[in-house]
Amino acid sequence: MKETISCKEVMRYICECLAKDTSSERCLALKDHLDNCEDCREYFKSVKLTIDCYQKYNVELPENVHKKLMDFLKLDD
Amino acid sequence: MKEEKREKPGNENSLAASNVPSDEEKLIELAKKGDKKALTQLVKNYEQTIYNFSFKICRDRDKAENIMQETFYSMIKHLNQFDSKSKLSTWLYRIVANHCLMQVRKEKHRQFVSIDNDETLFEEKYTADYSRLPTKYTENEELKKILDDAISKLSPDYRMIFLLRDIEGLSTEETAEASELSISAVKSRLHRARAFLRNEITRAFAK
Repeated sequence: MKETISCKEVMRYICECLAKDTSSERCLALKDHLDNCEDCREYFKSVKLTIDCYQKYNVELPENVHKKLMDFLKLDD
Repeated sequence: MKEEKREKPGNENSLAASNVPSDEEKLIELAKKGDKKALTQLVKNYEQTIYNFSFKICRDRDKAENIMQETFYSMIKHLNQFDSKSKLSTWLYRIVANHCLMQVRKEKHRQFVSIDNDETLFEEKYTADYSRLPTKYTENEELKKILDDAISKLSPDYRMIFLLRDIEGLSTEETAEASELSISAVKSRLHRARAFLRNEITRAFAK
């Protein structure tokens, strides 16, 4: 029988289904649910956006910090 | 004085996603024998990612710098114990994760939100207009502050899992190995961390 899931379960299983394994029965059921539930679609989108924000927030290694690292480790650049 | 910038960081520079040279094993073998050039190359291959990851845990550049130094010091000291059964990157993530957690635990005054048994995480249905995010949104100082504030409330144990899995792109198995947790513990912490951060950010945007 085809698996169905509730809105609350959608929130729990997003964890697994944002990963690459989208062919599992549960992920297919989640996708099915999202196709028919606007609230959950918005929730899913907001979780993905949250991750996206953090992925794009990076800091660059300054040259002086690199040099200090090489000195600390007694390595020649 | 304006700081000179090194190569541009980004998710493409994460250890999991980095384009590791095919001769990494040779570099490791040479480094184990004391070859300083090989050792220097290994450090250079991973310094940007280790610095960036440390910053994301500690949210402080000075602490990130110290943690990066300690991480590579540990790598050099214990390189002979690395048996190549796992990726060098996963092994390095385990080292840097331990140093980050030690650093955060020193700061005993810090209070974090407990989400161990917080069922309300999955009850919230805040709606916010995410379209308000500026196009180059991570260059927006206001958004950076929101992201910093939200993740700073999260216990480092959860922060670590979110960053390893979602931001650095490790698999669930690699995240479990780097954090020395079970796969089910990783999954549980990950979905709580995601829900918490999502709720915090949504709240901030709804204001």
